[in-house]
Amino acid sequence: MKGDFVARVISNARAAELVSDISLELPPEASGIDPRPGQFAHLSVGGLFLRRPISIAGFDGESLRVRMIVRNAGRGSGAIASLEPGESVRMLLPLGSPFPVEDLAERRGKSGGAKKIHLVAGGIGAAPLLFAADFIRALNEVRGGIFSVESFAGFRDEASSFGADEFGRAGACRLVIGGLVTDALEESLGRGAPDAVLACGPEPMLEALQGICSANGIAAYASLEARMGCGVGACLVCSRRARAGGGAGYRRVCRDGPSFDLSEVIFK
Amino acid sequence: MTSLETNLCGVRLKNPLIAASGTFGFGREYDELYDISCWGAISVKGLTNLPRSGNPPHRIAETASGMLNSVGLENPGIDAFIRDELPRLASRGVTVIANVAGSDLDDYREAVRKLSDTETAIIELNISCPNVKEGGAQFGASPRSVGEATSAARRHSSKPLMVKLSPNTADIAVAARAAEDAGADAISLINTITGMAIDVRTRRPVLANVTGGLSGPAIKPVALRMVWQAASAVSIPVVGMGGIADAEDVARFMLAGARAVMIGTANITDPMAGPRILAELEGFARTNGIADINELVGALETS
Ligand SMILES: Cc1cc2nc3c(=O)[nH]c(=O)nc-3n(C[C@H](O)[C@H](O)[C@H](O)COP(=O)(O)OP(=O)(O)OC[C@H]3O[C@@H](n4cnc5c(N)ncnc54)[C@H](O)[C@@H]3O)c2cc1C
Ligand SMILES: Cc1cc2nc3c(=O)[nH]c(=O)nc-3n(C[C@H](O)[C@H](O)[C@H](O)COP(=O)(O)O)c2cc1C
Ligand code: FES
Repeated sequence: MKGDFVARVISNARAAELVSDISLELPPEASGIDPRPGQFAHLSVGGLFLRRPISIAGFDGESLRVRMIVRNAGRGSGAIASLEPGESVRMLLPLGSPFPVEDLAERRGKSGGAKKIHLVAGGIGAAPLLFAADFIRALNEVRGGIFSVESFAGFRDEASSFGADEFGRAGACRLVIGGLVTDALEESLGRGAPDAVLACGPEPMLEALQGICSANGIAAYASLEARMGCGVGACLVCSRRARAGGGAGYRRVCRDGPSFDLSEVIFK
Repeated sequence: MTSLETNLCGVRLKNPLIAASGTFGFGREYDELYDISCWGAISVKGLTNLPRSGNPPHRIAETASGMLNSVGLENPGIDAFIRDELPRLASRGVTVIANVAGSDLDDYREAVRKLSDTETAIIELNISCPNVKEGGAQFGASPRSVGEATSAARRHSSKPLMVKLSPNTADIAVAARAAEDAGADAISLINTITGMAIDVRTRRPVLANVTGGLSGPAIKPVALRMVWQAASAVSIPVVGMGGIADAEDVARFMLAGARAVMIGTANITDPMAGPRILAELEGFARTNGIADINELVGALETS
């Protein structure tokens, strides 16, 4: 189920320079929603015409609280990042395709034991991956350690970094400040390749990751960005090129994505 | 009780609200949010004979009270529409308007012929898409070619034919009359107004296509003026659109002469726009003592 709800801001804490960690409470009508890591919400911000897509960075079904981690990158994201407790914001959620965590749970790991998943985050791209880390940790508790997780989180500098502690709770976390997070990942492959990589970050990072994963035969899934209109798949303004069903065509980032099989994505 | 029912070239609509082409896909996505049969009709994404992949991204830019798009008629083609989308829409009780575009007269003839034996209620001839060479805008620009495209389609169609006019023309009243004289059963307007956006930091256009079509409340005053001028010039029904965002906007376009209205960009900014505006319209009619919504059509007093 998805719906357009008015959420109330519960808290807004500073996560890093220009980055806010926001908790919002959805109304009781939203109790049927069941968001998955990789999905997003489409937020209506006062005074701006179009909505803004923001990843769901965490969800608690009992309290109906949704978490968002937002970087002030312009007028809309800036307005969201500076929401104060008590303020309300309208949002359509959950939207788009999730990372295929549950599908991966059903597959057999290469080494027979726990499936090894690497999370690769670049900058604000850590937001959906923190949800993935938490989701996998919860799944592990219920199903008895079916996944082993290792995270690689890259940030431009110390001041903009966040989330390393939380990634650490799901498994080992390699924090990369200034350098290329993909170098750290590549180095780690000597210790054994993961069964799958989940990633979100800037396009150059994802493009490099595509090369590494295809060279090493690793399944990879990435959450992508595009400028959006409707957010649900009806207006076709968010299309980007991808390989699909043999040919190359446009896929809707809001509906066919934002989480794509990285091998299908076409970078310019 | 207010009656919202109306009639558009022989087709009964349960209310005058129609989802505008290109903003509602084929209804699949919004059907997950509410019962899409609440609309008077749905005009589907612009269709061409052959599938089209559309323009490269970026395809959208935010503007003051509106947006620019340069989708470029991405669509699966008429055959796929008839096979994969139309039966589902019809079984959902939706009155379907097929919006078609072409690059030459043969294209339009072929398109309307294919749709003739289907459950399509009305064909909307798009001669006004500003985003692709093949989008028919070259037909929309001059009254002579409006007439040519209309009569070519008219001769090959058993369905009511509604011609969607471009605002990117010198005199909308002349274009409206050209469509009427060539056999159109109705006209709809306005399509988007050609515009552009520039990123000062990169010194590049925001849209990869450089120009795009402006829609939303930003174009409403222009749209109202054009609907009024067109409705004053023809006797066939006029369907008005351009920036409609609430029931009062609906009433404004009807007063200007629109028999029905289309709602486009409002779906993009408010996914619940359809049922919201319908409920508002019922309330508006009740509070204003309107027994039959058709009372509003052309009731504008200018003296
Ligand atoms: C699926 C998805 C998930 C996202 N998750 C997050 C998140 O968790 N945290 C976060 O801080 N940011 C996230 N973003 C990016 C965020 O949507 C943009 O930073 C935001 O839209 C910028 O709006 P603005 O008004 O601040 O910037 P402006 O540059 O003023 O925006 C102008 C227009 O361009 C669009 N736009 C600009 N940059 C982007 C971008 N990078 N991606 C998409 N549209 C853009 C805007 O939506 C707006 O329509 C996500 C984007 C997508 C597509
Ligand atoms: C994203 C988008 C795609 C559109 N695609 C089409 C189309 O395929 N065919 C068409 O006739 N009009 C198309 N239009 C124009 C709308 O149907 C409508 O004429 C215009 O947007 C003005 O109405 P509005 O302000 O309510 O959106 C499109 C508009 C938008 C915003
Ligand atoms: S934003 Fe409308 S289809 Fe993706």
